[in-house]
Amino acid sequence: MATAFELAPAIAALPLAAFVVVLLVGDSMPKKGAFAGIIATAGSLVLSLWALATVAGGEVYNQELYEWAAGEEIAFHFGILIDPLSALMLVIVSLVALLVHVFSLGYMNEEGETGLPRYYAELGLFTFSMLAFVYADNLLMAFMFFELVGLCSYLLIGFWFRTPSASSAAKKAFLVTRFGDYFFLIGVVGIAATFGTLSFAGESSFVVAAEEAISGGETLFGFGAETWVTILGLLVLGGVIGKSAQFPLHTWLPDAMEGPTTVSALIHAATMVAAGVYLVARMYGFYALSPTALAIIAFVGGFTALFAASMGVVKDDIKQVLAYSTISQYGYMMLGLGVGGYVAGVFHLMNHAFFKALLFLGAGAVIILMHHEQDMWKMGGLKDQAPVAYYTFLAGALALAGIVPFSGFWSKDEVLYDALILGLEEPIFLIAYAMGLIAVFFTGFYTFRMVFLTFHGEPRSEAARDPHPIGAAVKLPLIVLGVLAVVAGIVNLAPIAKLTGAEIVFLEHWLDGEYGAVEGLTYHEYHELMGHETSYIGSETLTMLLGAALSLGLAFAGAGLAWTLYNVPEPKEHTRRLGRAREVLGNNYYQDEYQVWLARDLTLPFSRTADRFDQSVIDGVVNGVSSVSLFGSGRMKRLQTGVVTNYAALLVLGFLALLVIFGINGGWFV
Amino acid sequence: MTVAVEYYVLLSAALFCIGLFGVLTRKNALMFLMSVEIMLNAANINLIAFSFYHGNLTGQVFALFTMALAAAEVAIGLGIILVLYRNFEGIDVTVPAAMRW
Amino acid sequence: MILESLIGVALLGALVTFVAPDRIAGKLAFAISLVPAALSLWMFTAFDGSGNALLDGDLAFESRMEWIALGDYSISWFVGLDGISMPLVALTTVLCSLAILSSWTPIAERQSQFYGLILFIEANLIGVFAALDFFVWFVFWEAVLIPMYLLIGIWGGPRRKYAAIKFFVYTNVASLVMFGAFIALVFSLGDGVTSFALPEITDAMLAGGPEAFAGLEGATLSSVVFVAMFLGFAVKVPVVPFHTWLPDAHVEAPTPASVLLAGVLLKMGTYALLRFNFTMFPEDVISTFAIPIAAIAVISVIYGALLALAQTDLKRIVAYSSVSSMGYVILGLIAYTQFGIGGATFQMVSHGLISGLMFMSVGVVYNATHTRMVTDMSGLADRMPIAVGILIAGAFGYMGLPLMSGFYGEFAIFYGAFGSEFLDYAPLFTAIAMFGIVIVAGYLLFAMQRTLFGPYRLETDYEVGPAPLHDVAPMFVLLGLIIALGVAPELIFEMITDAVDPLLGGGA
Repeated sequence: MATAFELAPAIAALPLAAFVVVLLVGDSMPKKGAFAGIIATAGSLVLSLWALATVAGGEVYNQELYEWAAGEEIAFHFGILIDPLSALMLVIVSLVALLVHVFSLGYMNEEGETGLPRYYAELGLFTFSMLAFVYADNLLMAFMFFELVGLCSYLLIGFWFRTPSASSAAKKAFLVTRFGDYFFLIGVVGIAATFGTLSFAGESSFVVAAEEAISGGETLFGFGAETWVTILGLLVLGGVIGKSAQFPLHTWLPDAMEGPTTVSALIHAATMVAAGVYLVARMYGFYALSPTALAIIAFVGGFTALFAASMGVVKDDIKQVLAYSTISQYGYMMLGLGVGGYVAGVFHLMNHAFFKALLFLGAGAVIILMHHEQDMWKMGGLKDQAPVAYYTFLAGALALAGIVPFSGFWSKDEVLYDALILGLEEPIFLIAYAMGLIAVFFTGFYTFRMVFLTFHGEPRSEAARDPHPIGAAVKLPLIVLGVLAVVAGIVNLAPIAKLTGAEIVFLEHWLDGEYGAVEGLTYHEYHELMGHETSYIGSETLTMLLGAALSLGLAFAGAGLAWTLYNVPEPKEHTRRLGRAREVLGNNYYQDEYQVWLARDLTLPFSRTADRFDQSVIDGVVNGVSSVSLFGSGRMKRLQTGVVTNYAALLVLGFLALLVIFGINGGWFV
Repeated sequence: MTVAVEYYVLLSAALFCIGLFGVLTRKNALMFLMSVEIMLNAANINLIAFSFYHGNLTGQVFALFTMALAAAEVAIGLGIILVLYRNFEGIDVTVPAAMRW
Repeated sequence: MILESLIGVALLGALVTFVAPDRIAGKLAFAISLVPAALSLWMFTAFDGSGNALLDGDLAFESRMEWIALGDYSISWFVGLDGISMPLVALTTVLCSLAILSSWTPIAERQSQFYGLILFIEANLIGVFAALDFFVWFVFWEAVLIPMYLLIGIWGGPRRKYAAIKFFVYTNVASLVMFGAFIALVFSLGDGVTSFALPEITDAMLAGGPEAFAGLEGATLSSVVFVAMFLGFAVKVPVVPFHTWLPDAHVEAPTPASVLLAGVLLKMGTYALLRFNFTMFPEDVISTFAIPIAAIAVISVIYGALLALAQTDLKRIVAYSSVSSMGYVILGLIAYTQFGIGGATFQMVSHGLISGLMFMSVGVVYNATHTRMVTDMSGLADRMPIAVGILIAGAFGYMGLPLMSGFYGEFAIFYGAFGSEFLDYAPLFTAIAMFGIVIVAGYLLFAMQRTLFGPYRLETDYEVGPAPLHDVAPMFVLLGLIIALGVAPELIFEMITDAVDPLLGGGA
């Protein structure tokens, strides 16, 4: 009987097989290959759950499986690392992928889309890349699948390639994340060149090597070890910022809404965007060595959380609102990780995967209902027409807004709590905390603005009065995710645990290796590495209660404001009253503009100038050499007149000239 | 009493210059050919004079060669001139210049 | 004698094809070209060489006989393969077969001459990579130019004469510089060297180097010859600023000629750089020029990529991107580490496959649309899904997508270069060069977005349908090879490092 770990390669290989099969023969398969994808991802889910159970049983797996390329100093492998973190993530990814596949039956197949085999093949490749990324045992393998994830997002965002905006969005997504990956790749190369290893875990991991280098006070590449580790960490962080759509590389994500909604759900909840934050968690030990890098992570996260939430307030497209909420929520995760809240960050990553997948799929359901209309001002009143969609969407919204006791509350609160207690010790982090806190208000507001505009009030268009029915394939994933969005919080009820003393912080124990863990990859070890000091307002419990009350109050305030403004039969566009502020927000703080400017108005003209320089100067020199010789020979050939007399004259003159030269040399004239 | 070799050389030089003058100034192909012949004969005189002066026959042998060569050359040259006349209706050597490049 | 039969089959095949009727020339040439391809693949599996050919390594398929005695020197027919040349020979034969297959559609005139020339160029290319005697090598090296000149000049586009002459004169002048320098070097090595066999010259170079010759000190002479030879090969590679013949040649050349030009001919330059400049000269000579060469490499990468960004002709885009990719190779060579030089060699093979694929894809698009201008078309994915799918795959290969060969080549070069102790400021050079991967993504994605996606539109009056099988099949083969090498780079990297290691150990 094979063990879960022996079958672990199949977790990623199954979707890969689905990709190959559907790509080759998808057109003649039932449902154009959807079933192949469903079976494969269901298989992955089962195997992942089994792996999770095995880890819970105290075993972990860290195995090099295949030597990719080897040299004298270093060998690059593919390998699998299954520890609590990756086992958890495997389950999340395969679950969401499975549900997205099922949902696609209703969203894509029943809508009569063309190119479905391509769609399902790409979904399979996407799932494969993400799963392989999740349990990669070394940074290079992680980078490789990270890039493949980028490719798949390119393909899927551009699925409707006939629309110019879709292909443009796909290009932007790949290009912006590529820009981040550029730094990531330098980081990978740098880490490999510095430490001679890229493994995440074990005695020979780069984390251990970096720790030794710092404690040994070594000089690496002309820098102190800690500075160099910070530099490398920040380089890798470039990839994270790109993929997880953090400021300033977040601009691709709202555009990525051009893809099918199912793809958005997959990208935002469990795969591409999650990959960035997951990578930080994966190599958390490395970041723990560098307080500077962590602080930058925290600030990027906090700022992004607030920044994106403020933009979500003025969007009219339901998917755009969700897009900005995604950016904002990943900001929270980064904030959590940056302030040392490893558990909080991972917890929020998990909860977000569920409720964001739910919200996107819910939005997909709304879009089906609305005959592919995405403008919220054309919706309204869908509550009674589609109760399943409404209640599941509401559950997701409550979780997103962070209302107790839905899952999002627990994790977001923990992130903010971790930021607060660190900030009380080191006040600079209070700024990051404050940004996160203010974002809570905005989150509550835009979330419920979206809910009310979509589901409440009177229908504001023909489509809203007569919605398209939704089938079981749509409802089933919604219900599964709806339940998860409500209850997922129970895995780590930290506040209640602190109040009552009950041992109910399962996730913390899970990540701390109470069940089983690879040495060096546990919460308390990270904590020791960081050596963060924390302090409290009064007691720990009081701080916790104060923080929770504050964030909950703000969430309610935001939701309440949305209630009064938009939960009316005929809501008005109140955001118009914001005036210039709305313009700035609606234009996303002109972030797109300057990036497009960089690409189109700076790089492109620059390259054209380079081209002109090339054509005129460099090629000009080449052509010049040939012109000069041609011109010279053109002149020279005129000596040849074709008149024999002239030749004879030249002969005589040449002879005389020779005579004179020899004469002078011979001294006749002296 | 023999004539000193200097006089032969002078004669040869004078003939050569006459021939050269002809080559450089005439446009008529026949005159041209004749000038070339004069130059060749100037060379012949030189050859024979020095042969006599040095007392060996090599120079005279070469003079014979040159004469044979000159005869052949005249034959070809006249042929060319004939063709020239046919194609250009004249024997001006400056006219046919198409083959220069 | 197997290498001789490889060359011989191609040469004889060229003659036979030359006199065959046009009707069967294409199929005949393809059938003939399968023989060297199959033979070289067999050689690949039976390869038993070890070490570097110039540094007393064990050669595979070696054959050597005295040929001409020339004063104090003797010229011998000396061929053999090591881990560096073996993959390149296999690349040549495979790419030639596929190039012939891809010519069936576009080549309609003078077919027998065309295919004959392709086979002739194949024979010479094999010779270049196999020859180990300078004279034999040089004959092949120069003989490559003639068929390529004719291929561009006869079957090329509207400005074919200009492009062909530019190509020929430019590379020929470069060869002259290199030839002169090398001969001076050989004479200056004194009486110890009695042949033009490259291993012997290498031994003499590494043992003591040149004596004073032609009024120059031995050390100065070394440097001068190094620079002259670098310049000679740099034109062939090409590196900025000697690159301008390349886009012109590519744009005018017919598709199969472009495939060979980018796929194999450019590699002659880097191969020769590796064989001559980076093997024969002792480390201290190379290190004198490390920084300028690295700067040239980085400039080639970035500048070439920027130029590609400005182009609107698909072929020009791919042509300039070759300049950029070959810059990586130079960077890997000058890093002078196992992964640097090994990665550079890997990248030669990988770039040969990928650029071949790209030119074929562009050719297929051109066959269907009769235009290559980005602005003339859009939405081609709608009409020719399979060909476009492969084009996209090839483009991502060019961008260095993991699990395709380009990624490993670039990664190995970056890794090798980053930690290089040979090159000062290595991390800085590497980081700047790496920015090429962003620009390459930029121009390829832009071009793809405009031509392949969006609503279907074509400015020329042609019906666009799916490409015929014999156009698509070679692209599939290339794609398969690219992915195979990307997933398992050890397939060739092992033999490459085996040949590179003595270089690093013995060069000191």
